Amino acid sequence: MDSANLLTAVAAAEPNAKPREKADRAAVQVPVGNLSALMKRLRNDSTFAFDMLCDHTAVDWSEQGTFELVYQLYSTVHGHYLMVTTSVPRVSPIVPTVREFWRIAEFQEREVYDMFGVLYDGHPDLRRLFLEDDWKGFPLRKDYTDDFMLERPE
Amino acid sequence: MGIITEKLPCYIEPIPGGSLLLTSMDAVINWSRANSLWPLTFGTSCCAIEMMMATGAPRHDTSRFGAEVARPSPRQADLLVIAGTIVRRMAPRLKTLYEQMGEPRYVMATGSCAISGGPFMYNSYSTIRGADEIIPVDVYVPGCPPRAEAFFYGLLTLQKLIKEGESVRRPGERRKPVLSALPPGITLDQIRAEMAAVLKSDATVNVEQAAKKLEKESQDGQCESADGCCCSRT
Amino acid sequence: MSVHITTLDDRVRLRQDDSSPLSTQEYFVNMGPQHPSTHGVLRLVLKLDGETVREVIPVLGYIHRGIEKMGEHQSYRQFVHLSDRLDYLSALINNWAVSMTIEKAANIELNDRIQVIRTLMAELQRIQSHQLWWGVFGMDLGAFTPFLYGFRDREIIADIFEETVGARLTMNYIQPGGLMYDIHPGFVKRVKAFLQYFKPKLAEYETLLSGNVILQERLRGVGRMDGQTALSIGATGPVLRASGVPLDLRKSEAYGSYGKVAFDVVIGKNGDCWDRYWVRLEEMRQSMKIVEQLIDNIPEGKHMVMKPAVKIKLPEGCYYNQVETARGILGVYIVSDGKESPYRIHLRTPNFNNLWAITETAANWRLGDLVAILSSLDVVVPDIDR
Repeated sequence: MDSANLLTAVAAAEPNAKPREKADRAAVQVPVGNLSALMKRLRNDSTFAFDMLCDHTAVDWSEQGTFELVYQLYSTVHGHYLMVTTSVPRVSPIVPTVREFWRIAEFQEREVYDMFGVLYDGHPDLRRLFLEDDWKGFPLRKDYTDDFMLERPE
Repeated sequence: MGIITEKLPCYIEPIPGGSLLLTSMDAVINWSRANSLWPLTFGTSCCAIEMMMATGAPRHDTSRFGAEVARPSPRQADLLVIAGTIVRRMAPRLKTLYEQMGEPRYVMATGSCAISGGPFMYNSYSTIRGADEIIPVDVYVPGCPPRAEAFFYGLLTLQKLIKEGESVRRPGERRKPVLSALPPGITLDQIRAEMAAVLKSDATVNVEQAAKKLEKESQDGQCESADGCCCSRT
Repeated sequence: MSVHITTLDDRVRLRQDDSSPLSTQEYFVNMGPQHPSTHGVLRLVLKLDGETVREVIPVLGYIHRGIEKMGEHQSYRQFVHLSDRLDYLSALINNWAVSMTIEKAANIELNDRIQVIRTLMAELQRIQSHQLWWGVFGMDLGAFTPFLYGFRDREIIADIFEETVGARLTMNYIQPGGLMYDIHPGFVKRVKAFLQYFKPKLAEYETLLSGNVILQERLRGVGRMDGQTALSIGATGPVLRASGVPLDLRKSEAYGSYGKVAFDVVIGKNGDCWDRYWVRLEEMRQSMKIVEQLIDNIPEGKHMVMKPAVKIKLPEGCYYNQVETARGILGVYIVSDGKESPYRIHLRTPNFNNLWAITETAANWRLGDLVAILSSLDVVVPDIDR
């Protein structure tokens, strides 16, 4: 499916999904409550058949006070891409895990937890991935500081 | 051991009915150590590939310098080549590796990352800015990554240092090139403290006076080593 | 809702408790971070039953340098040089991935010369990367000669790169808007000489290692992974293709000059170590085929379509783009807020995703097989940790 058809199909499947603007490919934005249901549909429905979770990451929109979680999906059956995003508040960043649909999500979600402190509900093994277990803070947050990091002098 | 490129540190005394080999044990032991360095196969990132090109690959032959026996176990190696970035999580492990190596051990930091953090120096919450913050380094080989030729230059420099410096009686305690250039009685820490004081005060500082003061202090201090060795304060 | 945060200690303890009283005693062993066959500072916590591997728990972060945080403080051009140091064996292809994302976002049109040279360089890099893998793979399985052969042939490509680029490993050659330099006048001649040289050598690789009965025994049927598992675990590149999924972005996206050349996507049948071995060897052949088709037809033109001094600002928005490196799909995700440096830059690296295949494939194989499986996945650790 091309991106216009894909967006229509996703909108039909999940009425709460709105197109995400300013993206270079088909992209939808869903409320965090509908994420799990939409992902299940996208994975299992044969019209979508997104069998690969290419990438999962987060963006810290510190001024809006939210984390935007980004899922890049690809279907080897149809050859189409879809970007799914959802927003969670920075103060209580809890999202459902999508590990049951794609095994790799377990590790990509651990990375996002490690770097941003996003908590995944239902994750079987949520722990730090790159940093030590006793590390303080989440380095990719915009307000992260520690006494080790050096700023580049202007 | 490879091709011997220099003379054995000894001389031969011709005596009637044969000849006598005269040498000092230190010189011979250092000479043999320098020519049989066993590197540890340790690489963290890009520099490891160029190190493999230098030590393992067929184009460059490290056995010319007696350093072809790469060992995966630190207990069998005496040269630690830090090839690549050291990050905060790796730092304690690097220290362990170093401590597991038997004395005498030598460390070569290859590449910008191991020297100073290199391209990962600024804005990284994780990269250690130079492996010498963790363990003492003998030779620095710059490059990103250093070519095989640079690696060999570093290896030859290390061999030279070993032949010149170390005492077999006290392994590990060797003349550091930086320290040996300092006036006697002044340690690097004293100079650093003095520099910090200079930077803090806005007045013009009389450097000669400061040096005299340091000299006086050092003369007052007791000689700590029993045999009056040159490595501590005289 | 319940979110539990665990630690490695918890994990190791938990799993120790659940063994039934009838089973033999299981124990944990650390492999790495300093281990010759983990190809860097990868640490695997192994749950062993005798010599049989029950479970593999990869522990990462021993070369995590915080590249994504650094990217937020650098200009787009500066970030390209960091991409060299991810998967340094595919340095040029990584440069290309970052540059292509920036070019697509900024609507920079490239001429044919740039595209053809990029494709040529990427394919040479792929051959070089597979040569190194082949050599190291042999060494991991106990044969030292392949290491010497692989490195001998790798040097020739390194020389070709050095002549044009000036560097051997971390090249920073492909830039947003073109190439750092034009190709050296001797480039075409040397590449042709290399093709002449390497074709018989590849046959030699086959006779030296592929037919070896020990190698066959150690690879065939070991570490099997079917296509659906491979997709679910996010594996790409030769690892995925060995499991029979013909996903190759060079074919499906046809970026660069790949649309103009004829080549086959090599796929395996069983997804075992042997298929992963065989796919990579075949890929070297296909890469040579691509280079052969392009080397005589490099069009005229400039090597840079914009001035290198121009500062790049991307329009506000988010951009995701992928290329096929020697190890799989490298995706670059850039979020721009209209400034000179990205608001957020994220790299979907092939090795990070490929690595987890070890948790699926290595269970119930012997420790010696684990080395073969890990080596057949061909991981580059700084690319995992970033």
